[in-house]
Amino acid sequence: MKKLKAITPVLFHVTAGKGSLQNPYLMRVILHPHCTQLDFAYQAMKEYHRGGWIRIAAHTHLRVKGDSQRYALIEAKGIPIAPNQLDFESTADWQYFTLYFEPLPRKDLVFDMLEEEKPAPTDFNFYGIEINLAQGIPVIF
Amino acid sequence: MPANKSALRRYMIIDQVLRNSMRPYPTMDDLLNACADKDIYVTDESIQKDIRFMKDPSPNGFDAPIRYNRTHKGYEYTDPDYSIRQFALAEEDVMAVLESVDLVRSLGGGRFSHKFISAMEKVLSASLEEFGQVKQDVPVLQTMSTPECRGFEYFDLLYKACQRRIPVSFVHYNYQKRRFKSILLHPFLITEFENKWYVHGYSEQHEEVRVFGLDRLYHPMLLKLSFKPTDTAVIQSRLHDMYGVFAIRGYQKCKIRIVASAFITSYFSAYPIHASQVIKKTNGGSGIITFDLIPTLELARLFLSHGKHLMVVGPKWFKDIYEGL
Repeated sequence: MKKLKAITPVLFHVTAGKGSLQNPYLMRVILHPHCTQLDFAYQAMKEYHRGGWIRIAAHTHLRVKGDSQRYALIEAKGIPIAPNQLDFESTADWQYFTLYFEPLPRKDLVFDMLEEEKPAPTDFNFYGIEINLAQGIPVIF
Repeated sequence: MPANKSALRRYMIIDQVLRNSMRPYPTMDDLLNACADKDIYVTDESIQKDIRFMKDPSPNGFDAPIRYNRTHKGYEYTDPDYSIRQFALAEEDVMAVLESVDLVRSLGGGRFSHKFISAMEKVLSASLEEFGQVKQDVPVLQTMSTPECRGFEYFDLLYKACQRRIPVSFVHYNYQKRRFKSILLHPFLITEFENKWYVHGYSEQHEEVRVFGLDRLYHPMLLKLSFKPTDTAVIQSRLHDMYGVFAIRGYQKCKIRIVASAFITSYFSAYPIHASQVIKKTNGGSGIITFDLIPTLELARLFLSHGKHLMVVGPKWFKDIYEGL
């Protein structure tokens, strides 16, 4: 694979679900020069009345394995920032949402997305997301 | 935003004044007076707004090379050959375009029709002045139209992907399985069926040609990746051998036979659903109708919608699917 220019956004298909419920799913990671984009899909759950609700904490961040730096959440699309929340109407509802973080370094790495350092089962924490630059696909904008 | 008719008339007048070689570098007053001569009374601000719109790049504006010449204290076209009248049409052309605009407006389709109508208004702006236009408060042409649907905003991107053979990544939601999937698609065709839009292509995840409803797509992105073309025969077959969109998997093009009441046979006679349709009528008018088609879910649903007036005769497996719906 040709070495990509640092300004080219690179996409990774990384289907990974959170916890035993596999919900939400992390669908894609896109490394932009100015941010890191994480695309998620959430299926409202039967366990909750009318599907329950979702939201994301403003202090959600990324952390690269072996690095203490935090990469802060910049923007959320399709999911409200807490204390606001998106209330589903039924257990058949779904939501696609995107979180934008400060840019991760452009290299092979493993990172976590942490909504809470000490998470409850319902918090959106994802661990061990692998980025292998050789598998990235350049995006045309 | 599409320009209204009075604005289009003003653009024509401004264009005419700017192209008058006998009186070059017209001032704002000259433009206002020219409008007033045609019984159009507007302010400086309106004319300035018109000039800005005319200068706007295509597709919104006319890309008109208008400049205020400080030396001569007046406006000019920097390209002396430019005119918005370069689009001028003959009267029959104008009528044909007006009919097309009516049809597209009636078909709806949000951005698609907006783009078309906006472009046509520009073309017409150069000609309506000459031929006039019959004002109609209510449309005289109506086709089935629905409110703008989810996913249609991706039409332009997917059209570009099909046209330029660019692979696309998107997230797809399956209504039936209630599951999301990341898809890498090599798209080759966009189709519309019953006011719903679909993109067809080779899906790397499914390792076969698949079709996806635009309403179920999220965040498509064009990828810099080599395109995997689909065999032309497969594309042709999708274009010509199907009624609907979702082929019943595992089955090829085949003869499908139904029996319809005289009442329903009349409709099939008047509105054939496919070029391969053949009707053999009985003495009482009921019909044995055959089609040479790739069986689809939409075909089965169409048959089902006729209730007791229609019965699938064969093939047996299609009859079973039809009865199981």
